[in-house]
Amino acid sequence: MTLELLEGSEAIAASAIAAGCRFFAGYPMSPFTGLLENMSRQLPLAGGVCLNAESEIEGVNMTLGAAAAGARAATGSCGQGIALMQEAIAEAALNETPFVVFNMARNQQDYFQATRGGGWGDYRTITLAPKDVPEAVEHVQLAFHLADKHRAPVIFYGDPLLAQTRIGVSVRPLDFGPLPPKDWALDGTGGGTGGSRQVWTWAMGKATDPGPGPDRHWRAIAEKFAAIDAIESRSEQAHVEDAETLVVAFGSAAKFVEYVVEELRADGHRIGWFRPVTLWPFPGEALAAATADVRRVLVFELNAGQMLDDVRIHAADRSAVRFIGGVSIAESGLAYGELMDAPVIRDRIRTALSEGGRS
Amino acid sequence: MERELVVTGVGGQGIQLLAKTLALAATREGRHAMLSADYGGEMRGGPSKASVVIGDRPLRALPVLASAWSAIVAHHRFSEPALARLRPGGPAILNLPLVDPASLPAMTVYGVDAAAVAKSVEAPQAIGFVLLGAYNAVTRLVDPASLVAAMQELLPPYRRQHAAANARALAAGAAALDVPGADLTEVSR
Amino acid sequence: MTVIDTSQPPSEPARRVADFRPSLLLGEHSLCPGCGEPVALRVLLEVLQELDIVQRTIGVVGHGCYGSFVRIMDVDVLQCLHGRAPACATGIKRVRPDCAVFTMQGDGDMANEGLQEVLHAAARGEKITCVLLNNGVFGDTGGQLTAATVLGQRTKTSLEGRDAETHGYPIPVADLVAGLRGAAYVARGAVSTAGGVAQTKRMLRRAFETQLAGAGFSLVEILTMCPTGWFVPAPEGPGYLGDSMEQAYPLGELTTWRH
Ligand SMILES: Cc1ncc(C[n+]2csc(CCOP(=O)(O)OP(=O)(O)O)c2C)c(N)n1
Ligand code: SF4
Ligand SMILES: [Mg+2]
Repeated sequence: MTLELLEGSEAIAASAIAAGCRFFAGYPMSPFTGLLENMSRQLPLAGGVCLNAESEIEGVNMTLGAAAAGARAATGSCGQGIALMQEAIAEAALNETPFVVFNMARNQQDYFQATRGGGWGDYRTITLAPKDVPEAVEHVQLAFHLADKHRAPVIFYGDPLLAQTRIGVSVRPLDFGPLPPKDWALDGTGGGTGGSRQVWTWAMGKATDPGPGPDRHWRAIAEKFAAIDAIESRSEQAHVEDAETLVVAFGSAAKFVEYVVEELRADGHRIGWFRPVTLWPFPGEALAAATADVRRVLVFELNAGQMLDDVRIHAADRSAVRFIGGVSIAESGLAYGELMDAPVIRDRIRTALSEGGRS
Repeated sequence: MERELVVTGVGGQGIQLLAKTLALAATREGRHAMLSADYGGEMRGGPSKASVVIGDRPLRALPVLASAWSAIVAHHRFSEPALARLRPGGPAILNLPLVDPASLPAMTVYGVDAAAVAKSVEAPQAIGFVLLGAYNAVTRLVDPASLVAAMQELLPPYRRQHAAANARALAAGAAALDVPGADLTEVSR
Repeated sequence: MTVIDTSQPPSEPARRVADFRPSLLLGEHSLCPGCGEPVALRVLLEVLQELDIVQRTIGVVGHGCYGSFVRIMDVDVLQCLHGRAPACATGIKRVRPDCAVFTMQGDGDMANEGLQEVLHAAARGEKITCVLLNNGVFGDTGGQLTAATVLGQRTKTSLEGRDAETHGYPIPVADLVAGLRGAAYVARGAVSTAGGVAQTKRMLRRAFETQLAGAGFSLVEILTMCPTGWFVPAPEGPGYLGDSMEQAYPLGELTTWRH
């Protein structure tokens, strides 16, 4: 396995193309811009199309169109740009158009946006939050797979460290198993046959072949997301067996936490870590089990406490949950602030350890 | 064994290129490398910082290094935060006379007047490569030939004519240090 | 001398023109009596059939009264978000360049919510055909002011009639689009008269021919009657259109691409 020294954005683009992505549209916004530039360089070489869209709204709707026509397609942005896309992401969830949204976020303040969404209707978005570039390469392809498997938009939650770190990685197509055929996709051949296809949030069908209509369709969508919730949550954990304290973190922050926890264990502390790999579905059952015997559950994230809500919902005892994260942004506003740093995280954990937990 | 290097200097000294060259050389040798850059918009004279981690197995190091084994200090300005993370005892290559060796009391310090060395081999633009050549002579993290190959690979077509001068700078940087070697054998692979 | 052989019965029974239905229409529309939009749909479907591209056509339909046409047109269709049809059509066309891709949008959809989308698609020279059904009101939501409402027109949000001081001036979408280099065919027709219907059909045909030839973006703005939104009796719709909208929006071809 030969490693190539690739910048995160470059590796993510290469992995998307290896997954068969053939349409990409986006609007520049740092640190997403690197992915857009890499796609515009790499995608045409693979026979695909990358458009510098005139706005995030256009970008996501172009992507929705390409995906409705059956292509593997993706768009991306961060923060405000993803906010502009919410209407279309919700629409795609409800009209069952699969594509991937790369949120190359500036920080971890988009957790609510990703897991609750700002669109309308009873929908959720599967959200993958890799901890480093090698895992990001895998998650890119998993995102396309899950999108097609469930006919739903999937969010890839990246950050400046994933976008800009250069690391030796190997990008090749990964096989996640068989997928249902895209016989629903619009290819134009249905016209005049009496069986023309439609992609429609209201799902009313054709006059000659009525569909379920919004009531039944939206109930079915809600049931679909409940089923996804039951089967697609992913998590990682370590040292839960003997841990008195469990630190919960996601994405890059989880990699930092893992590093610090290993150091603290070397110093003799009984501490472990837990990482939601999917932010939605949140691995609630796994977290409940992991927190059953601990005295403290520390939540570290670089925002004012967003995942904290999910940890409180699922922890075995919510009174054991303490927040040790916070808002922390670089002066530029484009990257993490000083909280994303092992020594600082170690201090915060040590302070929490010195305070009591539940007995 | 993972080895971390922090490089700190100001824009225009070739900090980013030297870090990338080292990371690529290690990658081409089939090893694991990580490069994190941190520069203030690439302005001339602004802060420029990079870190490189090299290892023989998938890396454990964080993209924001918790601590580092070694350093290349090309300029004293903006260097303080990076130097505060160095583990005592490791090698540090200093660009003389811009950097005062006394600023790194706990490190094994090697000084090189990179500008003078670069000028002496008619490669005045290649200060970063002089420092990299010196660093690699001390640490032997990669084969010197890998550095030359990586340097050439990274040159854009319109800069190809600089390849020979850069190679001279790498070699001159290595030669500028009379390295005892013995006390650093543990760092070679 | 026999000019026409009448020894056999006719091959098809006699029918009134109004009873004729293109085979791509799967059922009756549910719009108001006197509405111009079903007329536009009908000529559009006839053009697809005549060009023999029915089995490689994908439509993208926006939000307005015409939205219900998704149920009765036997064409592969994406019902998209309000205003975004040209962007969706772009994505479709780029991954299926051999298909004919069209949008169907109202003036609220195209001139209000989605003006940016149509202008950029035109500027990109996107090889799609956008069909604007312009009735000068938000018909579907009950007759409010759109960006295309003509000066003086009463709507539920311009009760004393549109005056420029309060509501600004109407946007002539076809004229805007015609000013862009990427637009290869731009025309404005009306379905308020028999002649207008025939002219509109020719325009749609040319628009699709332009797309199929890969010449660039095409747009046909069609002035349609909305007696309900205009608060006039259905039979007066065509005359009202001629007296109001047609005065502000002259009919004809604005940009033509020649083979
Ligand atoms: C985002 C959004 N805003 C508002 C609406 C409500 N809405 C539905 S149809 C319509 C007006 C459509 O007007 P037009 O496109 O002119 O079509 P008409 O009904 O006149 O044919 C509006 C505003 C919507 N569906 N979506
Ligand atoms: S409201 Fe107007 S546009 Fe809508 S169906 Fe009635 S007449 Fe037609
Ligand atoms: Mg209208």
